Amino acid sequence: MSLHPAGPSPSELLTCERLTVRRGSREVVRDVDLALHAGEIVALLGPNGAGKSTLLDALSGGLTPTAGRVERRGRVAVALQAPDLARRTALANVALALAWWGVPRAQRVSRAREALRAIGAEGLAERPAASLSGGERRRVHLARAIAVAPDVLLLDEPFAGLDAEVRASLLEDALSALRSPTRATLVVVHDRAEAWALADRLAILIDGRLAAAGSPRDLLESPPNATVARFLGYDGELATGATTLLTRPTHVTVDPAGPLRARVTRTVALEDGMRVELTLPEGRVYAVSPLPAPRVGEHVNVRLTGGVRFTDEARHN
Amino acid sequence: MHLLWNVLRHAVPLIVHGDPYLFSVVLFTLEVSAVATAFALLIGLPIALALGLGRFRGRGVLIGLANASLGLPPVLVGLLLFLIMVPRGPLGSLHLLLTRQGVYLAQTILALPYVVALGAAAVQGLPPGLPAQARTLGASRLQLAVLAVREARIGVLAAVIAALGTTLSEVGAIVIVGGNVYSYDQTLASAALFEADAAHFAEAVAIGIVLSALILVLMGGVSLLGQREGGIGLRFRSAT
Repeated sequence: MSLHPAGPSPSELLTCERLTVRRGSREVVRDVDLALHAGEIVALLGPNGAGKSTLLDALSGGLTPTAGRVERRGRVAVALQAPDLARRTALANVALALAWWGVPRAQRVSRAREALRAIGAEGLAERPAASLSGGERRRVHLARAIAVAPDVLLLDEPFAGLDAEVRASLLEDALSALRSPTRATLVVVHDRAEAWALADRLAILIDGRLAAAGSPRDLLESPPNATVARFLGYDGELATGATTLLTRPTHVTVDPAGPLRARVTRTVALEDGMRVELTLPEGRVYAVSPLPAPRVGEHVNVRLTGGVRFTDEARHN
Repeated sequence: MHLLWNVLRHAVPLIVHGDPYLFSVVLFTLEVSAVATAFALLIGLPIALALGLGRFRGRGVLIGLANASLGLPPVLVGLLLFLIMVPRGPLGSLHLLLTRQGVYLAQTILALPYVVALGAAAVQGLPPGLPAQARTLGASRLQLAVLAVREARIGVLAAVIAALGTTLSEVGAIVIVGGNVYSYDQTLASAALFEADAAHFAEAVAIGIVLSALILVLMGGVSLLGQREGGIGLRFRSAT
């Protein structure tokens, strides 16, 4: 699986070919091909332990690949997962990052203020780092990475450990702050919603391999195999002969006129309705039902309006 | 109790009237402490930073050795230095034995483990993401070192206090290396030993009181400085 859209191009700022990285005796990243272009944001998604951070380390030059090669055109900055700040003000922290990057002293404060403003943190400028909340620290941490204006920006889970409200707010600000016509950005995310919000392209890493790559919409509508589909939220599974239909809750509707008969086997309350587990003779699917929702044990009619089919062979790829 | 009272009665006037001998010993003690602590910092801090920030093989063993050296017996250090400095020894040609320079060297060697072991521990205690982030953004070794010392300043200050305390109160090594020569290379601690050996208890106690006061003032002052965030002596130039 490759993330080269159509061969190498002048806008490619970072490429890797057949990249393999070991940690100890374990191959954590295997045969990954990837290209990052100026102006785009690529989200790297994958389950825990898939090798996302290791891949990021290898792309930045922090880890030496066991095999394959990485080519960088321009300077690469990495924002690590831990938003550890120095014991000084938020502004001084960003200015310090600029000093590390080699920016002349005269430009540091103005560039630091500009980066804080871009990420919606100008109000934090004079606050000591020790007084910042988790979300505020993340903002300053992101501001450091934006301020240095690298050619390639690699972000390792920039929204990790934040509550939903703070994450949504930071995500909104990051959307515009990260976008630059001259910069290529790769952002490791854990949450699919963050990837949809941020990325032009997705790269899905499973068990160290690039399992899928493409635009978020294309991948969601036509995942290449069942493993990727399940990772992308296809949680329903109906087996019919040699093929399996995988569904997401949006594909399943509880409808009195629906052609399929199912029994409600579990319900989970949501903010705006109920997540309903529906068991059919062929398997199990999930739907989001408006309130009042059917109860556990009740028999309902179901309509399927989509999903992806895989043959037995493709299911296991 | 009567003896102690008598000794104190004679000791206090020696301090109050500013005995010239006592004054010269105080000056030399301050000089030795300042020089030895400064050299220990100069040599030890880079080693502490390498141990605290470095990622090389054998680092754990070196940290263990640094910690173990905190328990070095001063008399043993003095004896080894003596054997090195005797005319036929490896450093015999430098003529350091029974000199003030020899005393500086002995005290520096005794202060060094405190700077290395406590300094490395302080740097290791930093949040790991901070130096790692500095590295990824291209910080030079000097910038990384300045960042680490600044961030670990409370721990580094503790190392300075410990080193200063050793240089002020240690006696075993400097007596062997310097010979405890009257009014030449005596520190307050070695001078107190000298007077006590000669049964001049009032003089010994007077010196002891001055030494205790000096330790209290110097180390208390340094401690207070450390408690102030960005204290005077430890304020580093901001990157901005």
